[in-house]
Amino acid sequence: MGHIVGIDLGTTNSLVAYVDAQTGQPKCIPGPYGSTLCPSVVSLDPDGSVIVGEAARRRLLTQPERTIYSVKRLMGRGPADVQSELQLFPFRIDPQSKNVIRVMLGDKMFTPPEISAFILRELRNWAESFLGEPVDRAVITVPAYFNDAQRQATKDAGRIAGLEVLRLVNEPTAAALAYGLHEKQRGHVAVYDLGGGTFDISILKLISTGEGDIYQVLSTNGDTHLGGDDIDNLLQAFVHKRIRETEDLDFSPHGELAQDLRKSLIAAKHELSEKESVTLRFALPNGKTFVHTFSRADFEALINNVVTRTMGPVKQALGDAHLAPSAIEEVVLVGGTTRTPVIRRTVQEFFGRKPHTELNPDEVVALGAAVQANILERGVSNMLLLDVTPLSLGIETYGGAVSKIIPRNSTIPASAQEQYTTGVDNQTGIDIHVLQGERELAKDCRSLARFTLKVPPAPAGLPRIEVAFLIDANGILQVAAKDMRTGEQHSIEVQPSYGINDTEIERMLEESIEYAEQDFAERQLIEARTESEAILSATAKALANPQSTEIPAAERSDIEAAIAALKQSVSGVDYRQIRRRIDELNHATEHLAELLMNSAVATALAGRNLAEV
Amino acid sequence: MNAPKSAPVSATSCWSCNTPTEAAAFCPACGKIQSLPANADYFTYFGLPRKLWMGMDALEQKFLQLSWKLHPDNFVNTDEREREMSLQRSSRLNDAYRVLRDPVARVEYLLELEGMRKEGEHKQQAPPELLEEVFELNESLDELREAKSAGANLEALTITLRVAEKNFGEKLHEVDSEMKTAAQQWDAALEANGSESDREAILQRLNELLNRRSYIRNLVAGVEKELQGASC
Repeated sequence: MGHIVGIDLGTTNSLVAYVDAQTGQPKCIPGPYGSTLCPSVVSLDPDGSVIVGEAARRRLLTQPERTIYSVKRLMGRGPADVQSELQLFPFRIDPQSKNVIRVMLGDKMFTPPEISAFILRELRNWAESFLGEPVDRAVITVPAYFNDAQRQATKDAGRIAGLEVLRLVNEPTAAALAYGLHEKQRGHVAVYDLGGGTFDISILKLISTGEGDIYQVLSTNGDTHLGGDDIDNLLQAFVHKRIRETEDLDFSPHGELAQDLRKSLIAAKHELSEKESVTLRFALPNGKTFVHTFSRADFEALINNVVTRTMGPVKQALGDAHLAPSAIEEVVLVGGTTRTPVIRRTVQEFFGRKPHTELNPDEVVALGAAVQANILERGVSNMLLLDVTPLSLGIETYGGAVSKIIPRNSTIPASAQEQYTTGVDNQTGIDIHVLQGERELAKDCRSLARFTLKVPPAPAGLPRIEVAFLIDANGILQVAAKDMRTGEQHSIEVQPSYGINDTEIERMLEESIEYAEQDFAERQLIEARTESEAILSATAKALANPQSTEIPAAERSDIEAAIAALKQSVSGVDYRQIRRRIDELNHATEHLAELLMNSAVATALAGRNLAEV
Repeated sequence: MNAPKSAPVSATSCWSCNTPTEAAAFCPACGKIQSLPANADYFTYFGLPRKLWMGMDALEQKFLQLSWKLHPDNFVNTDEREREMSLQRSSRLNDAYRVLRDPVARVEYLLELEGMRKEGEHKQQAPPELLEEVFELNESLDELREAKSAGANLEALTITLRVAEKNFGEKLHEVDSEMKTAAQQWDAALEANGSESDREAILQRLNELLNRRSYIRNLVAGVEKELQGASC
């Protein structure tokens, strides 16, 4: 069986990581552009092929109506939930959407799990090219505060991408796993994770036992709709208003121009993490240039609301863990948005200690996912992760109230058994409505599922049916029912309130294979051929150099054999074979490259290959 | 959402190699995980008598030790049956630890186990000795709500309510210490193998105290909520 990889399926960027068998250390896998970040952007080409990542991100400007970003915000949500998102994000939702949202890309419709599956498939391809072996199993991270439907949607995305999702791990917990390896921390740890679209805070206790290290999550809290995107929205709204006032120019919030402006604003935001002020220059359609200088103080005042909104969940999580801020021994910052100085300062002041930022905040979650993947791959390990469910599970009782049966922050897996009976003679069904949330009334909680327990006709009160509600280690609900009198297991058909059923997933899986497989192989082939051209011409040049006569004849014939092998593979269509032959030629010319470098430039360029000389 | 496959009904011999297991989590012969016996209660799960005092450190140690063995992470590469058993056992372990480590939930669970209390039962009647103070409190709360909607000055009412909150907070402490005494009596009776009627009397007392506690707790929470609304 192939490698199990760890995947951070992020709002803005996604990453894939694995644990290196030799060093035992987790590493992120780079994509074709050399970066480990895959922008979570998907574009549907007019020719029907799907483009993911950096190439898709470029199309945000040129083909916005065929391109989608931040789809994570739509995962596991119904049409009514996303009305507020639609004001700020250019999502084109199919008005016919019922329980599951459908998004239009060009003239085709996709569910959010299908779009996420395109991203997962891309990352899977990165991993397969890099590792040179098939990858069919993964650990995927989710925001700790994701509810059941959002988790299920993420798992569905994995299935549609042809990946067996062995575990969903909460993002802050994954970060703690990565840091634990790095820093060997002990005691109480707070992980503050502010990403592109979500905010999580988790409080963990790290325990050393004879058998190994235990990472026990004590509490978690957050906001699944708070992140760097909100900062960008504030900046964008501010500038739109300015332009409207000074130029009497009002442009559509989702057009090409708005996307262009957004891109400049994001660049300015990043610059403000380093500099005290930044001047934005933006060409307007009326020929003028909009110029505005943001000082860091202006910027911080503008985004103050986002910073403040994170502190409520932080206090709640500490309260739930029965800890004071001073009881936290280590604070870890995760997510690109925590690069913002005002956020670092606020967190540091609140906890009274300097937070850890040693690991790249963009990569740390994926690294932790790889660590968990490695634990699962080996079956037995010296590390154990005990996570919690972020929201209370309840069932609707008489009058629309909610009876909580599994409280929030319960260690998972967790379960509750409820006994049911009938109220009238020969009643044949009992309706059950399962919810998630902290509010008292069913209408204020998140509906997870409704189902009817079938009961054999009997006098009222005689049937005794036990329903077992179980939250598994992924934070996903399972339901089973048992007739207490006969001991028989009841089958129950549960209709998830915001989910996709199995048949639909199978269909989506088939469709997505059609979309993705061919495109990817073709692109890989083109890239591999381009690369081999470069190395072949570099090698020919090197062999023509008089210095090259210094290498032994045996080595020369090895190089020639490798050249012939590579040339032969380029005429084929197997990009993996081409990559292997490139590596072989690089290896055969190592000595030659070194020789030429030493003689030509006496600078230390060791380790380079011929193509780079 | 998937319905879990049913684990086989608990048996006293290993499902895999048929060796007698005596309800152990793992078969003594082949080491395979065993299904959870239907009648296992939380105390038995931790190998504890039904006493109300327990050392928290020892309980945590036991919890972590069992977690190492039972957690689903250890069963990813096994067959579906073993995965299901691990899920059942580790979820029940977590349920048990959640209840036993909380002194109030522990009392409630013991009362349910001993048949003194129905699951989820709450008495919403005010304890008779508190009636007068509860009336006064409710009046003040009503006045506060009226004053809030009328936009009137809340200061005097807030002070009255803070005094009441403190008063009821103290009562909560009293109930807690009475519960502690009753719990010690229960443990002593269990140890001395006391008569059934003695034990039942103690359980009844615990049940009353639990009801009073939850009543006062709700009152205090209600006052806190109103006062929070008044201060902003």
